[in-house]
Amino acid sequence: MIYGFALPSEALSRKILTPVAFKERFPAGRLKPPVGIIGGDIRSLVELHLFLEPDEATLPGIDLQTLPNWIAQSIGDPELAESIRAVVSARNNYVEGCQKVYELVGHRLNQARMVLKEAT
Amino acid sequence: MTYHGYAGKILRLDMTNRKAVAIDTAPYRRWGGGHGMGSALFWDFCTDKTITDGRHPANVCCVMTSPLCGTIVPSAGGRCEVVGVGVGQYPVSWFTRSNFGGRFSTMLKYAGWDGIVIEGTADEPVWIDIRNDQVLFHTADDLWGKDTWATQQEIRKLLHIKRGTQAHWQNLDALPLADDRGYAEQQSDRTTQKPAILCIGPAGEYQTPHAALIHDAGNGAGQGGFGAVWGSKNLKAISVIGTGGIKVHDPKTLLRARMITKEKYVVNWQTPDFHAWTRVGNLPKPLIQTAMPTDERRPQACQGCINGCRSRYNIGYGNESACQETFWYGPYVRKIAKNSAEDTEINLKSADIVQKYGLNSFVLQPGLHWLEHLYEEGILGPGRQIPSELPWQSIGTLDFAEKLIHALSTKTDIGADLAEGWVQAALKWGREEDLHTGALQFSYWGVPEHGYDPRAELEWGYGSLMGDRDTNTHCFNYIFTNVSAAFAFGKPLRIGAEQMVTLHAKKLSPYAKDRPEVLDYSDANMYSEAVAQLVRWQQHYCRFYKNSALFCDLKWPDFVNTNVSNFEGATGSLDAGEQVFWNAVTGDAISFEEGIEIGRRIWNLDNAIWVLQGRHRDMVHFAPYIYKTIYKKGEIFPFFMWTCRDDNGNWRYQDLMGRSLDREKVEEWKSIFYQLEGWDSKTGWPTRTTLEQMEMGYVADTLEAAGKLGEDAS
Repeated sequence: MIYGFALPSEALSRKILTPVAFKERFPAGRLKPPVGIIGGDIRSLVELHLFLEPDEATLPGIDLQTLPNWIAQSIGDPELAESIRAVVSARNNYVEGCQKVYELVGHRLNQARMVLKEAT
Repeated sequence: MTYHGYAGKILRLDMTNRKAVAIDTAPYRRWGGGHGMGSALFWDFCTDKTITDGRHPANVCCVMTSPLCGTIVPSAGGRCEVVGVGVGQYPVSWFTRSNFGGRFSTMLKYAGWDGIVIEGTADEPVWIDIRNDQVLFHTADDLWGKDTWATQQEIRKLLHIKRGTQAHWQNLDALPLADDRGYAEQQSDRTTQKPAILCIGPAGEYQTPHAALIHDAGNGAGQGGFGAVWGSKNLKAISVIGTGGIKVHDPKTLLRARMITKEKYVVNWQTPDFHAWTRVGNLPKPLIQTAMPTDERRPQACQGCINGCRSRYNIGYGNESACQETFWYGPYVRKIAKNSAEDTEINLKSADIVQKYGLNSFVLQPGLHWLEHLYEEGILGPGRQIPSELPWQSIGTLDFAEKLIHALSTKTDIGADLAEGWVQAALKWGREEDLHTGALQFSYWGVPEHGYDPRAELEWGYGSLMGDRDTNTHCFNYIFTNVSAAFAFGKPLRIGAEQMVTLHAKKLSPYAKDRPEVLDYSDANMYSEAVAQLVRWQQHYCRFYKNSALFCDLKWPDFVNTNVSNFEGATGSLDAGEQVFWNAVTGDAISFEEGIEIGRRIWNLDNAIWVLQGRHRDMVHFAPYIYKTIYKKGEIFPFFMWTCRDDNGNWRYQDLMGRSLDREKVEEWKSIFYQLEGWDSKTGWPTRTTLEQMEMGYVADTLEAAGKLGEDAS
């Protein structure tokens, strides 16, 4: 995948790696047969990345349509949000959408970590 | 009399006087085994059936096997049923049930017992030592305070059982005796087997609600709070070792049916279909809810199972835990885990903690979510309205998990307020609003929503409501999981909606045979007589085949099966249906429908007990949030696909999210259900006509004497 966004600033990198407040959490469940759907929430991009990591037995449950708004407004990364909006609208199916968001978020986290590492 | 499938006797343990007595199984034969026999024994031996707290001395707890235990019936040989009045439910702790796997039930059969009836209360902690016919009461002073794993290790040590996997002959008569009080009819024997031990941990000793019974590392009877029941009776553990066997009536037919299961219904090993739509016929796979910690594992199974859903790993943690307990802490662990390996490690070590404390982790699935909410809102925590000194800021860590489970198990910190149940604690804390908003998602009887929301998955919700607990009955919900997964991946559906319901309806005899509309969960049909018939079928099927014959809930029934050319599953089939196995083992000649009828009888006996405990239809309702809030689409999963008919009567898979239940219509549905059951729709109480039709006039007499017999419809 070609990632079209620029390196984040140092300030944005800190935001990317910082959890949001409880009130700004984003709902996220998981389908785990035979247990069913287990509720929960996401409070950081680091957590979102771990949450979306594919596994063989379960499926992440997240609203891909409203996720970009949360990333833009609560995390504060409109550029990542726009990229996610684009891959979600172009997806062939839900799981493919999750996988592409996983890759995008992973790339963005790497960028943020690199920027902060260089800054120190 | 030859007891095919049965050991022939049941063990009564009088805890108060430390006496063990054998009674004949024969009078209870008509109840099948497991739950049915347990309910009948409870009816006979519980002298006060109005009790509503399982810790009451009058409570009777039955640990029951089935004729199929210890045989090669696929995924049915190793389950064990526990019944009695439970602990921690709301508003009433009903006569209820739980179930666990492993090898306890089979070993009990090999020792010559079809079940154990536990009555009274010991004056100090004891453990029971069963060696074939010998039954010994031992003082448990040295075991009390130990966790479930240490308890089992200590008992093995006391019995001089060698550690490790190498076979050592044990002469049961030569094993040490702690005292001479017990029951002994004949000499014991020799074996290389280790005893099977069922025990409680600290949660049971403190008699906390949701305390579990634990066997081996990870087999647990979680629901019902039976660990607290044992704790109240000062019963720390039961150890059993036996050297007998099970007489099978028709071994040839049993073997043939097992081979047909393998060759016809189970995935072909040469050309495996990894995504088959079947239950009994799936490829064996571990049931773990996190990433696998290592490939270095070997499967661990209930005796006789064809799956092996648990694992033993070379890493030393997570052994034998499966399903929900491997993820009870998951949503919090991922907030602090640096990677998936750490996520798995904390989750599995947290599973070990609940196993050792003997606490049912299921309550924490929505329960911890609620507590965290209260903490984050500034209501719970040090110096707050709900005081708690737990390190809430470090939720997600293993340290927090240990401290939380310790508090809940020992009635310390918030565990003190949660000691009577979670809904009770919410009311005590002035948090009734959380039952209305859904912040506390305990849907029915003060127990948590399972993961199959009643607003979408009707048979799960209605079945729990009309029963005594979260039904935890996976008869139909693979429709949701299989179809939703196919939608999620954009893959073609293996079976279309119309064929799916038609295949099911073929096997829903007697109430819904060839009535596919029973699986129409659309808004237009969700309160219908058809759905009531489906719920009846499920309840009666489960009461016999799953809870009494002890077919595994995760493997049976098998309605549809893509390993078979016509997609018809094994359930009720003439070659490898449930009744084929039952008849081969027992020598009975029941039809599939006659098994359902036994289940109806058991269900009616259970309902009679609930009525004596105080049940009336006016108290049979969901938590308020089920009526007041909608199941929000996309919030925690994108869709909940199910079979529905559209306005033109055409079948399709439809998303059921985005709706709530209508209280008045649920009341109408309840009336329909009661009428179909032959119960008084004004009260929900059974009628004499219905009970006598099932040869339970004596139950009607008791209800009538209590002023609780339903009126026959005029």
